[in-house]
Parts: sequence; structure tokens; C-alpha cells
Amino acid sequence: MDRVTVLEEEIANLRMILQQKEAELYELKKECIRESHAQLGSTNHTTPELNNLLKTHCSARLPKWAIVRYSRQILLPDIGVKGQEKLCSARVLVVGAGGLGCPAAVYLAGAGVGDIGIVDYDDVEITNIHRQILHSERDECMSKAESAAHKLRSINSHIKVTPYNVQLDSSNAVDIASGYDVVLDCTDNVPTRYLLNDLCVMTGLPLISGSALKMEGQLTIYGYRADRNCNEKNASYRGPCYRCIFPTPPPPQAVGSCSANGVAGPVPGVIGTLQALEAIKMIVGLTHEKMLIERMLLFDGEDMTFKIVNLRGQNQQCAVCSQTPSITRLIDYEAFCKSQAKEKPITLPVTERRRVEKQKRMTGKSYYGFRKTDRDKRAWVQDVPKSERKIGPPCSSDLCQKGTARHCNEFDEEARKEMFRHFWHDLDWKGKRDYVKTLVDVVPPKRRRKKDAISRKGDSKLYHLRNKGERLLVCRLMFLNTLGLKEAMLRSWLTCTDKPRSPKKPLKSLNVDSYIDALPVCPPKCEICRNSCVQIRYLNLSHVKNIYQLYVEYMKEMKSRNISPASRKTFCKVVSLRNLRVFKPKNENDVCDLVSQHNAIPSYSYQNVDIGKEGLNHDMPTEYFYGEDQLLL
Amino acid sequence: MSQLKVILQFSGGAELLFDKIKKREVELPVLEKYLPQINKSEWSIRELLVWMKDNLLKERPELFLQGDSVRPGILVLINDSDWELYGELDYKIQNGDAIMFISTLHGG
Repeated sequence: MDRVTVLEEEIANLRMILQQKEAELYELKKECIRESHAQLGSTNHTTPELNNLLKTHCSARLPKWAIVRYSRQILLPDIGVKGQEKLCSARVLVVGAGGLGCPAAVYLAGAGVGDIGIVDYDDVEITNIHRQILHSERDECMSKAESAAHKLRSINSHIKVTPYNVQLDSSNAVDIASGYDVVLDCTDNVPTRYLLNDLCVMTGLPLISGSALKMEGQLTIYGYRADRNCNEKNASYRGPCYRCIFPTPPPPQAVGSCSANGVAGPVPGVIGTLQALEAIKMIVGLTHEKMLIERMLLFDGEDMTFKIVNLRGQNQQCAVCSQTPSITRLIDYEAFCKSQAKEKPITLPVTERRRVEKQKRMTGKSYYGFRKTDRDKRAWVQDVPKSERKIGPPCSSDLCQKGTARHCNEFDEEARKEMFRHFWHDLDWKGKRDYVKTLVDVVPPKRRRKKDAISRKGDSKLYHLRNKGERLLVCRLMFLNTLGLKEAMLRSWLTCTDKPRSPKKPLKSLNVDSYIDALPVCPPKCEICRNSCVQIRYLNLSHVKNIYQLYVEYMKEMKSRNISPASRKTFCKVVSLRNLRVFKPKNENDVCDLVSQHNAIPSYSYQNVDIGKEGLNHDMPTEYFYGEDQLLL
Repeated sequence: MSQLKVILQFSGGAELLFDKIKKREVELPVLEKYLPQINKSEWSIRELLVWMKDNLLKERPELFLQGDSVRPGILVLINDSDWELYGELDYKIQNGDAIMFISTLHGG
């Protein structure tokens, strides 16, 4: 065994040295790659005219080692030398280094794609390795992005690999994606898929989207634009985006995950590999008829079928990719999909978490709200994501512009932003309420048809905003949008009064406590029970036979003292929690009400009884026995 | 009216709501008898969904239907093409049509 530990230590040390040396080599090689990239030029993202110019003397730009290394794919007419040049200067972003991302990245690295970015926030777990082929046992607990990047560098040292060990979200997505030409969607959740789709539509990148679960996989390309491919005849063609086909996200309970539903390792392998193939085809410039655009590949590993289905084309009313999109910047996708992009461990105790979430809600941050659980309508869980408070657009109504009464157009964006910031960051909850109350005038209806008649017409509300200390009338929309409020919130603030809450009624169980404390108590009559460590005591009242009679006594006393009594349920609960019982023996032999056998034993033979087994029963909570005429054994 | 036979296919997890049977051939009854209140003689997808809910759907209809259409996240394909190309719910079902319900996957 000693030898084993010595060897393990030695290998670990050697590995560390190896890693250092590899890192050093990689840094040195980076320089060479940069030079070769400069040599190749960026053929993929220049104008078509320049591309045509380059076509004549392009082949000279591929170094000899590259021709040899990639010779097997250069032989293909679809790729060729020019295609290889495009591959070598292509930049591909792989989002997710899991079951799909690993095989996709392997083939992209093998094909010599010049720049590969890998995004993953997660660490390698032992349960991932069966399908995520870039990670090995040794990489457990290491960042997936780092682990994948390390392996890709060992597959191809001529390419640049950039790991991004972050969770892709609306704030960082644009920056990360800006340096890439093609995006591979290898994610495992709905919010990130919508995020990637909107990102790709806004930046004009094609999105090669794969998914796999259990024994099935799906693959298609979203957001394709022919104007970025000089081989396309019809440059105005555009493929559908994810939102064209799925405008609304699915309900969260209908979405499965690999960790909950399972997945066969080779299934994401197949889909990821095909994603890499589509990416290569996209880079070398094949036209859209040859790729999975407006089509979806369905792979079923169970009966081993591949099926291609035709999807709809681009939706002219799509919220993000139409000519007049309603979504022009990245939104909060977790709130939009009502599910989480990442399983966040909730470690806070419930009360503490409630307090934290309430604090977030009151400061306008995104928080988790409550919902009733499906099973038990009375149980609440706090897992509904709510988006943060945002300043809405200013009033654009013509009526406000023309008229002189309202001053909506006198507020510039800066002033509105400052108002919003002040409202949500400087004021506390009561301050917010008072602030709103001072700005909204509630005007009762001017005229009643009949005197004292109850009218259905409600109060009018006049909304104001402050501009340099001056209180100016604005329209409702302008007011709500500027403060990032919704109407219901405002109404509840306007109707609430500062009256202090009525003090809580005293707990009724307290008077039960004081009543019971006054009663005489004695230990069990039964010697076995007294000797074993049972904590039960008996109320020593000669005229009371059972707890119901005791309750009647209690009621009488409370009535005479004019105190509202507790219910019988509460009364019994308090009594049983205090390990108190009422027992009125029927005859001389009747000594124990807990274990009937104790009564059958003559008192002189107590010492000989093995109470081991019965003793267990004594440990049971007394409420378990409570109310049972028959004794339990 | 002649008999109307259609092939229903389910994939991507939608089959779990239908006894885990991925492909089934069904014969639809005469519409005037099945749904006399709507005064129609030809089956469209709208009526097919009602029929499926009553006859095939075993549990949790909210994971398949929403309103009178399928829930978001389920693709309906008529003869391997998106139902949008055929007019969605109003498509008149022909004898021998293959109608496929695909629940989209999100794992990876």
C-alpha cells in the first residue's frame, strides 16, 4: 500500500510540473498563432468584394503544416483549401461544455477552427463524465470550461482556445459573443436558450442549437442570415429564430433535465457531433438549402431513427427578429421563462431567506416570490422569480404633447433616471409610500346625480412629478413608468392609512398554562412507570375522571373570570405537551393506564418483570396515547 | 362520409402523456355524431385535440393542452411539416394524414 501512495504522490507532482510547462509552451505558441492569423487575414468577416479579390491568391496563405495536417478534409470538394482557410480564421463560441459542447468542441478543434470560446459556469462532477467526453476523473471539481480548454489545446496546439468560466447572462453575453462568428447552443435550460437566441438575432450570428434528453435529440439552426454568406444567391433570405417557432416559453414543469430524467451518453454525442458538422459547413460557406435551416433533425436512439421535419419560416411578427422588433435589448430571461438558468443552492434558513427576499423586493431588485404548491394548496414555496424594477419609456402620447395641462415632455431622460434612482435606492418602504402620496392627488367625483346616492364613479387621480422642485402634472403612464411602478401597487399605497395595527389578542393557550399550573400534580401510581424514566405526571383531582371533564372545569372557571376560553383542541394539546395525564383508577388493581400488563402483575413481583420491551412504549409521546380508551400495546 | 384514419406520433417526451406509445393509428368517428353541438362535418386539428383529450390523454392535460391549442413548447407537424404552413388549428384533416406532436427538448 505504501508503494501505491508514493506513486500517487509522485504522479501528482509530475502532473503539476507538466501543467506548468504546458502553460509556458502555450503562452509561447500564442505568439506564433497570432502571427499565422495575421498572415491568413480574416477572410470570414470581410466584404464579399474583398473575398473575391483574395480568392485568386488565397491558397498561398495556408502554411505547409496546415495543408498536411488537415489534408483529409481539404480533399473534400465542399471544404478544399479555401474552406480550410476560412476554418483556420473562424471564431466559434460554444456555450455549455457539457454533453453537447464536448463532442462539438472536439471536432471543431480537430478541424482547425482558429478560435474557440467555451462558456460554462459549472464544475465537473463525476455524474457528468459518462457523456461529457472532454472531462476525466482527474478533472472532478475543476471548472468545466478550463478542463475542456485544456483538452482542446492538447488536441490541437495551433488554435486559440478561450475558456469563460462564467454564467452567461444579459449583462455579459454581448461582450463575450462580440468576438465570434458562429454560436453553438449546447446549453441545458430554457432561459439560456432564449438569451442566446435574442443575442444571436441582435448581433446577426447564426445559432446552431442542439438538445438531447433520455434517448432523443433535436438539432436545428436559428437566426441564419444569407447576407453574411457570399455564396448565397438570394442575399435577403433569413431563417427563423427560436422565438419565431416558440414565441412563448414552455411551462417549467414540462421541461426535463438530464439530472432528473437521465440521458444516454452517446445521444448528446451524436447531436453535438452533428452540431460541429453544421458549424463547419456554415463556416466554409455552404448555402442554406444544404443546412438545417427551416428544418429540424429529430434523432431517436430508442428505435434508431433520424427524421427531418420542415419548420415554419421567419415570422414577420416575431418579437425579436422581425423588421419591427418589440425586444431590442436583452431582458431578464429567468423571469421570462419562470425558471432558473442555474440550480442555485438555497442554504439560508426559511425565515432568513424570506427576510432577504423581502429586502430585495423592497429595494427594487429581482427576487423570488411565493406560490402555492401543486399538491398541498395551503403550503407555500418561495421560488417564483420576479424581475427587477425598471424605468419604463417616457410618455409618447400626442394628447400630452399638444395640451398645456400636462407636462410630460418637460422631463428629460436624465431627470427621470435620477427620480427612479432616488425612489428605489434612497427611500425606505414608508418613504416610498409617502413620496407617492405627496405626488398623487385623489379628487372625489365633482357632481353626484342625487344627493347622498352611492355613485359607482371612483375618485380621479392626478399624477405629478417633481422637476427642479416644481410639482408638475403628468399623465398616469408617465408617472408609473418613471417610478417603475405598477398600478395595483400604487392603488394599495393610496388606500392604506397610517393607523397602527390593532394589538394582537393574547394567546388563549396562555390562560390554559396558568390554569394547569395551579392544579395539583402527582407522579404515576404504577411503580414500573415511576421507576423507568417516563416523564409523565398525573393531575391529582379526585372529582375529575378524564380530560374532557377537566376541560369542562376549565370552561366553568374561565367563564366565572370572564376570560374567553381556549378550544378543547388547544386545551388538550397544551396538556399533552406538558406530559400531563388524568387517570382515575377503577379498582385497587388498576394502577397503570399506559401499559395494561402492569395491572395484571401483583405488586410484589414488580422487580422480576422485564420491562425492556414495554419500556419502549413509555417513550412514545403521550399525545399518541391520548384519547384512547383502549391501551396500546 | 368515408372513414377517417390518421396516424398520431409523439416524441420528445410527449408520448409519456399518451401511455408511452410513440405511434398509433386511430380512426376518427363521424364528427356530427361525436360533437353535434358545433355543426361541422369535417375534422380539423381543433376537434382532433378535443377528441385526443377525451379519448387518449390519460393524465395531466395541462402538460399537453392550453386553451383550445397545444401548450407552448410542443411542435405540431402535419405530414412532417410545421402546422403553421397548413393553417394550424383550422387544417382540415385528410384520410391517412400523419400528425406528429413533438415536445421540444432542452437538455444538453
